[in-house]
Amino acid sequence: MTPNQYLHTSGPNAEAYQQVYLRMMGGTTWHWAGCAWRYLPSDFELKTRYGQGRDWALKYDDLEPFYYQAEVMMGVCGPDPKVEDLGSPRQQPYPMEALPISYAAQQFRKLITEKTPYRVVHEPQARNTRPYDGRPTCEGHNNCMPICPIGAMYNGGYSVYHAETAGAKFVPNAVVYKIERDSANKKVTAVHYYDPDKGSHRVTGKYFVIAAHCIETAKLLLVSADEQSPNGIANSSGHVGRNMMDHTGVQVTFISGDKALWPGRGPLETNVIDNFRDGDWRGDRGAYLVHMVDDNQVDFATQLAISKGYVGKDLEDQIRYLASHTVRLFSHNEALPDPDNRLTLSKTHKDALGIPHPDVYYKLPDYTVRSCEHTRGLFKDLIGLMHGTDEQWTPGYFPQDHPSGSTIMGVDPKDSVVDGHCRTHDHENLFIASSSVFSTVGTGNITLTVAALALRVTDTLKKELLHA
Amino acid sequence: MPDFKTVFWSFLVGGTVLAGLSSFAARAADVDQDVMNRGAYLATAADCIACHTKPGGIPFAGGLKIATPMGDIISTNITPDADHGIGKYSEHDFEQALRKGKRRDGANLYPVMPYVSYAALTDQDVHALYVWFMNGVKPVAQTPPATQLSFPSNIRLTLSGWNMLAGTETQETGDSASYDKMRRGRYLAIALEHCGTCHTPRNVMLMEKSDQYLAGSPLSGWYAPNITPSKTGGIGDWSEDDLVQYLHTGRVKGRSQAAGPMGEAVEHSTSHLTDADLHALAAFVLQVKAIDDASDTQPRDGFGKANDIPDLRSGELTRIDNLSQKSPENLFDANCAACHGQNGAGTVDQYAPSLYKNSVVGAGRPDNLIMTILTGVNRKTADGHASMPAFGSTSDVQRLDDAEVASLVNYVSKTFGSGTYTVTADQVTKVRKDHTPH
Amino acid sequence: MTKDRHCPLVDLHTSSPNAMRLNPLTRMSRRDTLMTGMAGVGVLAVGNVVTAEPATGADPELERFMKVSTRLTDRASLDPRIGKALYERNLQSAPERKAQLSKLATLLESGNYENASAFAKAAEQADPAFKDVIHDIMTGWYRGVADGKVVVYRSALMFDVTKDAIYPKTYAAGGPFYWTTQPPEVDKPTGAPALSPSKFDVEPT
Repeated sequence: MTPNQYLHTSGPNAEAYQQVYLRMMGGTTWHWAGCAWRYLPSDFELKTRYGQGRDWALKYDDLEPFYYQAEVMMGVCGPDPKVEDLGSPRQQPYPMEALPISYAAQQFRKLITEKTPYRVVHEPQARNTRPYDGRPTCEGHNNCMPICPIGAMYNGGYSVYHAETAGAKFVPNAVVYKIERDSANKKVTAVHYYDPDKGSHRVTGKYFVIAAHCIETAKLLLVSADEQSPNGIANSSGHVGRNMMDHTGVQVTFISGDKALWPGRGPLETNVIDNFRDGDWRGDRGAYLVHMVDDNQVDFATQLAISKGYVGKDLEDQIRYLASHTVRLFSHNEALPDPDNRLTLSKTHKDALGIPHPDVYYKLPDYTVRSCEHTRGLFKDLIGLMHGTDEQWTPGYFPQDHPSGSTIMGVDPKDSVVDGHCRTHDHENLFIASSSVFSTVGTGNITLTVAALALRVTDTLKKELLHA
Repeated sequence: MPDFKTVFWSFLVGGTVLAGLSSFAARAADVDQDVMNRGAYLATAADCIACHTKPGGIPFAGGLKIATPMGDIISTNITPDADHGIGKYSEHDFEQALRKGKRRDGANLYPVMPYVSYAALTDQDVHALYVWFMNGVKPVAQTPPATQLSFPSNIRLTLSGWNMLAGTETQETGDSASYDKMRRGRYLAIALEHCGTCHTPRNVMLMEKSDQYLAGSPLSGWYAPNITPSKTGGIGDWSEDDLVQYLHTGRVKGRSQAAGPMGEAVEHSTSHLTDADLHALAAFVLQVKAIDDASDTQPRDGFGKANDIPDLRSGELTRIDNLSQKSPENLFDANCAACHGQNGAGTVDQYAPSLYKNSVVGAGRPDNLIMTILTGVNRKTADGHASMPAFGSTSDVQRLDDAEVASLVNYVSKTFGSGTYTVTADQVTKVRKDHTPH
Repeated sequence: MTKDRHCPLVDLHTSSPNAMRLNPLTRMSRRDTLMTGMAGVGVLAVGNVVTAEPATGADPELERFMKVSTRLTDRASLDPRIGKALYERNLQSAPERKAQLSKLATLLESGNYENASAFAKAAEQADPAFKDVIHDIMTGWYRGVADGKVVVYRSALMFDVTKDAIYPKTYAAGGPFYWTTQPPEVDKPTGAPALSPSKFDVEPT
């Protein structure tokens, strides 16, 4: 169970699915590191290219213009593809120039370039490298997570403010608990929500878009079950709540035996080893990417030095040494859609409004386990290259908080929930804008792809509303 | 330092102006390039773009709303478009507008246009400005909304009387490039940069008080401070180099930084002046008559020190929906300390400046501190892009209400500045309403 | 867990995001969120800033705690305001803690220890329980944490020791891209631990 007793997980890898997310305006972008990856073209065609998982019901090129639109709206910085090609073809340059990486990341990149066949690239980030959209340039407070203290990093709140200024209406503290359909069960006619005092309200509309992230979206569809749809809304396939995925992580912290790095000067996540995002081996094991996390390690160093038994001047010397030599690596390892990895409604736990909590059964796909093993091997090699000591491996597998797949996209209504336009197969005016529609989870952070899909939904809506 | 410091007439202007220029270089092929360069430099030094361009607008196409006690005056299109701008102006028409405040049709310009200052321009420089405006500026076919004032200010004839009463600068002669340092400095301060337009207090008729030159004046919510060499009320403790650095970059560590209208003046005008001109201008300003100040009785940049208080925590957790009003310490901690430091020292490189030894905080008037918090800082020069987010009504970073701004201003002033005033929420309400986007 | 509660002063159904941004009674924006923790339960991880009060009416036991602290940190002086807060919080960690601190002070007064290491070694030899007491004192001064609670954040000594290279998270050390420059080199220290090691768990991130 997550620390706030909300999400219940079970199964062989229950601990690997304890996702942390925020149920509030702006969602978990209040607490992210701004990583704004586009997926690779191959991520959309995993089945065709590598015989694994599924294909999406759209191709990279379908999403490319919306990726760019999302990058402009969020304010994404990234490298010039002519200098550093991240593998996702671009029609336009990034809205902002790439963020210059820290001294620590520069040294890491130098090591990787000189001593391994791999490379370190600039991570695309929704972070200002110049004043942008009324928000200032990043000053490197190193506090992206939990939150950017100066607004240099994008969060979803900014888009809500812009939307409201443009005329959108926002109802705070409204928890949707029911989706109503017409008698033919073809169209959604209204949603019902509770206010904090459990007063019920009904909202009608022509079109409905659910954008409640992976876990809450599936939960809402399931909780709306009634006589008309006993398995939940949009669930004639039975796939709502199934195919739960994430980027499972491997993490190690160690003390480099080389020169001082002083990680933690600048933003948190700026650089990535991207050699394992794609390759023929994806027929056998999942892809992954590696972050050398640029995290202030002074507190870690102090805890470590005190636990070793140092006091006084010796302790201070150790703090300086350890804080300047600590290296932390972690990975995002690709999962596969497995219908058995499933979200259901809790039979035992309800929230204050009487709505069931979500339960998730999770077993890591062997594909992901093999990927994680490969990552561990790579990390061990890197620790050796850096003459590392004091290895601290985070036990087991840990969630990267990128839940996805619970209303999976596909061309066949029998085994998927939405089509290539994120429209539910069952209800022609119901769309889902969420990572829940992902057919595969790739390796890059999911946020930019969620935003691009949402913008593609709005494009569809605009066309249909204008024609109507 | 940039090489333009060594080239006297070399010409550098901001991107927008430059863009306008390059597209018209061909048309200006038959025009004397030295005259063009001189005109461009003079237009930059006179900061015409500041008033004749609306935010985000096309350079010199007008449309900026300028608040005056008479009402809002909207600047006009001064591009060489024949129908919408000044394309039909002869050099004589141009000279009359510039130095006499007379429009081509004979009507009087509102004295927001600093023609009483431009009256000091030499004939040679008026000519260069005319040549550049006609050949170096892209014509723009758009007319900004007309100024609508109420009676009697709407009667432009009234201004004839004003013009008779107002003291006008005497026209300078000869080649202004050949002046000695002090004469050149005076020419820059008066005829071009028109410092007095903002920094000299005005009488009830809104005329600059000539005996109070540069003694400080309110300006659209800001306060253009006393910059006479008074040791207590002005900038008598500044060196010529300090002032040159300020005008060139907009900031001097331990003294002050430019925001608001002065930030724009630095960005668009003074940061592009040659080193020799900046020294001449600074030397002139530092020798005008020292005038003491009613509010500032100690140097504004002399106050305060780092706040040496440990950040003791209560250990009690606070819910995000805790509705109680935050203490000034908490407001400072949540909104200011991330960049300026809890101790107020700013960053080591002073990208975020120290709050003590800072004229804005040390001033005896709260105007500039309030406006900085409400509207932020956005000043781009070769020195870098100074960017403090606004905390006002349209901020996309954080919006503070009037009581919070008042609380912060008082806390910052008492902790790092003079602490001589107490701002009320009502004062902030008025400033916000009158002078900031909301 | 903090008790759930509603907000009685405003009409939640008529407040828009932009309106809420300007109303501190309803606002839930970035900087306010800054004051909260991660798990979505909305708690402030480090507690509110409190105004430091001068340490008046000297408590003799507090003064002895300060002497022990000074010895264990090898420092000429320590901030008495932080010391008072640490001492008070430290006492709450265990019922016997007050007596333990007193006995540790007695040990210091009874001998002549040339540095922190010598004193810490002697203390652990005299009574193995002193190891945890010293551990807590070190954690208090260097990490700013006592009895599992944050007493000080940026004033913790770990940030003083490293301030030439790095600032505490959330505080700016310079303008944009300062981080590309080379920070100071640090030689491998030669000192040895004074106490036997304690268990160390990495906090998952």
